[in-house]
Amino acid sequence: MRAAGRLGLYLTVTGVAVLMVLPFYWMVITAVSPASDILAFPPKWIPSRLTGEHFAAAVAKAPWLTYYWNSLVVAVVSVGCSLVFGLFAGYAFAVYRFPLQNVCFLLILSTLMVPVQVTSVALYVLLARIEWVDSYLGILAPNFASAFGVFMIRQGIKAIPVDLLEAARMDGAGEVRIVLTIVAPLIKTTLATVAMILFLGSWNDFLWPVIVINSQNLRTLPVGIALFKDPYGSINYGPLMAATVIATGPMLIAYAVSQKYMIRGIALTGLKG
Amino acid sequence: MIRWRRRSNRHRHLLHAYLFIAPVVLLFGAFRVIPAVQTLLYSVYKVELLRGRFTFIGLENFRALVADPAFAKATVNTLAYVAAIVPISAALGLGLAVLFDARFRLSELFKAVYFAPMVTSTAAAAMVWWWLYNPQFGLFNVLLRLVGLPDQPWLMSSHTALTAIIIFSVWKTLGYNMIIYLAGLQAIPQQFYEAATIDGAGTVARFWRISVPLLAPTTTFLLIYDSILAFQVFDQVFVLTGGGPANATNVVVLELYRQAFERYNFGYAAAEATVLFLLILGITVVQYLYSRRFEVAY
Repeated sequence: MRAAGRLGLYLTVTGVAVLMVLPFYWMVITAVSPASDILAFPPKWIPSRLTGEHFAAAVAKAPWLTYYWNSLVVAVVSVGCSLVFGLFAGYAFAVYRFPLQNVCFLLILSTLMVPVQVTSVALYVLLARIEWVDSYLGILAPNFASAFGVFMIRQGIKAIPVDLLEAARMDGAGEVRIVLTIVAPLIKTTLATVAMILFLGSWNDFLWPVIVINSQNLRTLPVGIALFKDPYGSINYGPLMAATVIATGPMLIAYAVSQKYMIRGIALTGLKG
Repeated sequence: MIRWRRRSNRHRHLLHAYLFIAPVVLLFGAFRVIPAVQTLLYSVYKVELLRGRFTFIGLENFRALVADPAFAKATVNTLAYVAAIVPISAALGLGLAVLFDARFRLSELFKAVYFAPMVTSTAAAAMVWWWLYNPQFGLFNVLLRLVGLPDQPWLMSSHTALTAIIIFSVWKTLGYNMIIYLAGLQAIPQQFYEAATIDGAGTVARFWRISVPLLAPTTTFLLIYDSILAFQVFDQVFVLTGGGPANATNVVVLELYRQAFERYNFGYAAAEATVLFLLILGITVVQYLYSRRFEVAY
């Protein structure tokens, strides 16, 4: 009975795993198979020969390095700003008592309830007025700070004993120095988790960049891949899958290397809402 | 003397406090809060962006919205999508979490595999599924043919397209639901299960009588979180169907995107955004109030 249970467990778990992996596997196989294999019936699970032609076609059709660069700039700047601003704001909310504290904190948290899907119309009008549409600043505008980041960092700082901060003040350390040299190292796990989740969110963000960007040379990776599919031309699945491999490969490799840490971080904190 | 020093200290801290929160408050005010309020405001205006003209038209946008079959279809589709994806992901996530609660060999590897779609960009993953769903050469129909089943039109038919999008979304979000449920399961004290076992409760009884009630806070969180995300569904619809065929998979955010950024009807789109906001707010409040009745303290 127990052995049968074990077998059932492994069969179920493996079956679901096959379903989860199948799209990734087929993406890679299509990207490296010659055209005759791609349309073969029954399907060729293993390519008859490996080919790089689809990658060459994908690279010729779109500036992937530019897309990578754009995604990287947006992610690094938005994560960097969110961490620095979040660190100071989180410190203020955790350590000080000041008038309007709760109002400001609730104001920041309330933005979690109102996604960019809802605010995009007026935000676009505003950015059109200050001529930020179709620029890095436009993509970054709603992402310079993160309510999720402020909240997590405040929780982290609240766990630090007050005596430690008082001792540093007695020694004559200024508040900025306390934040940067004492608080930040103490909550580095929280900071790393927040950075990872925000980076993932920025890297995969699609709706806002597709709204605010018109120029091809400013597209981020998700926008680049979504608009790679030419709705009017004939569709060639080899180059299309090569393009998705180019777009998703590095993130999947980063995930494979650090999956334990990433899953734990996301399980503890929830994703960016 | 000491009192004076304390006071000056306090003032110094006030200055620090406001300086420290200033960047976040100003950035959020400018790019989040004001646009949110303005979107609500624009819903009663006719907005002509190029001419910079804003004309107050009262509830005209909403009146047009009610009579707009495309928006009605988008709303119904969004509600159907939410009603399907949220319980399916949560139930399957819970089922898998129960399996993974027992430690077994390679369980960490399997967990990582289940979670992989979650870290992949939705737009890119949807592109792969677009290929899998191809009616002639896509893998899904090829597999159906291999086992002698009839081809499915998948994204090509208005009867099956929304279901195909829901299947994709389950694949994408299942890992997250499982991980959150697993964290919830592992937080339940083991002695409850031991006591129940001594009292003669079987596996099934332990699951329904202990795990499910004690997971109520996790379930509440997931239902609210999943619904908020589901109401915002956009990326996969944009890539897989573009809302077609014949609006069969059109959703509120896609309709809003089209009105605002393809047709430049900003006031009308703002009214649609207002409806979306009320839907999200409504479902959150209802689920929160309703679920509190099932919460168990331990």
